[in-house]
Amino acid sequence: MPEISSYAVVERGAELADDVRIGPFSFIGPKVHLGAGCVIDNNVSITGRTTLAAKNHVFPMTVVGAPPPDSTGQGQCVIAQANDIREHVTIYAGVERPTRIGSDNLIMIGCQIGPGATIGSHGIFANCTHVGPCAHVEDYVRTSAFPVVDSGVRVGAYTFVAGYTGIDQDAPPYAMVQGLPFRVRGVNTNNLHRCGFGEDDISALKRAFRELYNGSGARPNPAALERLRINPNLNPHVRRLVEAIRSAKPAKGGGDG
Amino acid sequence: MGKVTVLREIAPTARIAPDAKIGPYCVVGPHVTIGPRTTLVRRVFVTGHTSIGSGNLIREGCVLGTVPQDLKYAGHPTALIIGHRNYFGRDVTAHIGTELGGYVTHIGNENVFMDGCHIAHDCYVDDRAHLGFNVMLAGHIRIHTGVVIEDLVGVHHFVTIGRHARVGPRTPVRRDVPPYTNFASEDYGWSPPAVRGVHEEGIRSARLSGEEERDLRQALADLFDDESALQTKIEQMVNMGVEGEVAALCEFCQRSLRGTFGRHRETYRGKPPPEAAQFPLTEQWLDPRRRFP
Repeated sequence: MPEISSYAVVERGAELADDVRIGPFSFIGPKVHLGAGCVIDNNVSITGRTTLAAKNHVFPMTVVGAPPPDSTGQGQCVIAQANDIREHVTIYAGVERPTRIGSDNLIMIGCQIGPGATIGSHGIFANCTHVGPCAHVEDYVRTSAFPVVDSGVRVGAYTFVAGYTGIDQDAPPYAMVQGLPFRVRGVNTNNLHRCGFGEDDISALKRAFRELYNGSGARPNPAALERLRINPNLNPHVRRLVEAIRSAKPAKGGGDG
Repeated sequence: MGKVTVLREIAPTARIAPDAKIGPYCVVGPHVTIGPRTTLVRRVFVTGHTSIGSGNLIREGCVLGTVPQDLKYAGHPTALIIGHRNYFGRDVTAHIGTELGGYVTHIGNENVFMDGCHIAHDCYVDDRAHLGFNVMLAGHIRIHTGVVIEDLVGVHHFVTIGRHARVGPRTPVRRDVPPYTNFASEDYGWSPPAVRGVHEEGIRSARLSGEEERDLRQALADLFDDESALQTKIEQMVNMGVEGEVAALCEFCQRSLRGTFGRHRETYRGKPPPEAAQFPLTEQWLDPRRRFP
């Protein structure tokens, strides 16, 4: 039997696994599915068509599957397993497409995940990270406090986003980005070491970044990009970097980013 | 007026003073101590080995004493100790300490934390600090007495903010802030945050004597009007002989310069800081079966 506080409200129709724990004053909506081992602390609202897979821990005062402010329809939110969703986090449910969150993320206090956003796995999102609607954050991304990821942009895998950064267009993978609008400040070597990358991969990425972003770090050097693209025996990670940069959408704002 | 039943959940082992007020929808965990005249307004969650002193006002949505957001934390019971007469605005969060950081997060007396502030694991906040809206303190930070931090400031872990300093709004603080200074970034953070003048309000509230204030102002102007060759200037000053606040300022800056990236407390990485010795947590204190008369 799930361990539900007598003060919690679980609507009829919610599907709860056997060992789910729900704290007092929490609300579980009628179309919510909670996987095995989920821990829902007190004062949590989980609404909409929301699925949490196994072993998610939702901390107090958090809202998961909140309807986006500009819609009346009920959205959908799909969260994979073993995420820590900390206090005061708001995860909006996507109406046109579901909000998706991968596994093993740590989403810290005050984060906001917009409707329709896609978050990869193993990410660490520091306090007050705002991920805009329909943004795509890939795996192993780490952020510092207060960054904003604009709506619809992509943040590449293994990238570190510094505090107060505004991601207003697609950010490359493996990078450290900082500033408003952001600049590429180098390779995220710390994270790559942690994720078990070899020295040759890291040095190849360093060389590629030095070629591509030798100026202000605002945009990659097109000649260097073309040179890397036609190189037949390119390191697979550099290949991924080049492909990500080539497929990046142009900036929306028309600023100097 | 009829008496309304207050919906709240208080663990039977929690130790709560008889004249503490605990409002509706509050949840108080089993190892919590709440002192006299402390008010938990509504919807406040207090858990962990948290001890709250007297006369605190804790507003809606505060979460105190949950586990740290530190991946190295191994689940040992650690403590959050809060002093007296503090104000916690809405949605303030404070976490318990970690094993590697000395087991304790400590908040002193008469501090003001505006809405959305976060005090992370192993922070030591002294007395009469004012934190504006959404100030985020990372782990292992020391905030000295009388510090003013404006809205939306993020403070890097292991930073020390000196006595009566001010941090301007939306400033990323990545290194130690010397006492009595005004630390701010300009033009949306493109210029690196730096010491920009003196915190007048801080000097006034420190109530220094006329001579002391003059010396301090002179020293601050000498050191920070142009921050180049800070080390040499401090050494010269110390060789000339300094005392009181100026000596403390010189020592603070020297310690910061010795630390990694201008953060003195980086030297305490992975071991308890000296402040932890003031709060010895005995096994008995942390015993989950601890009962009170």
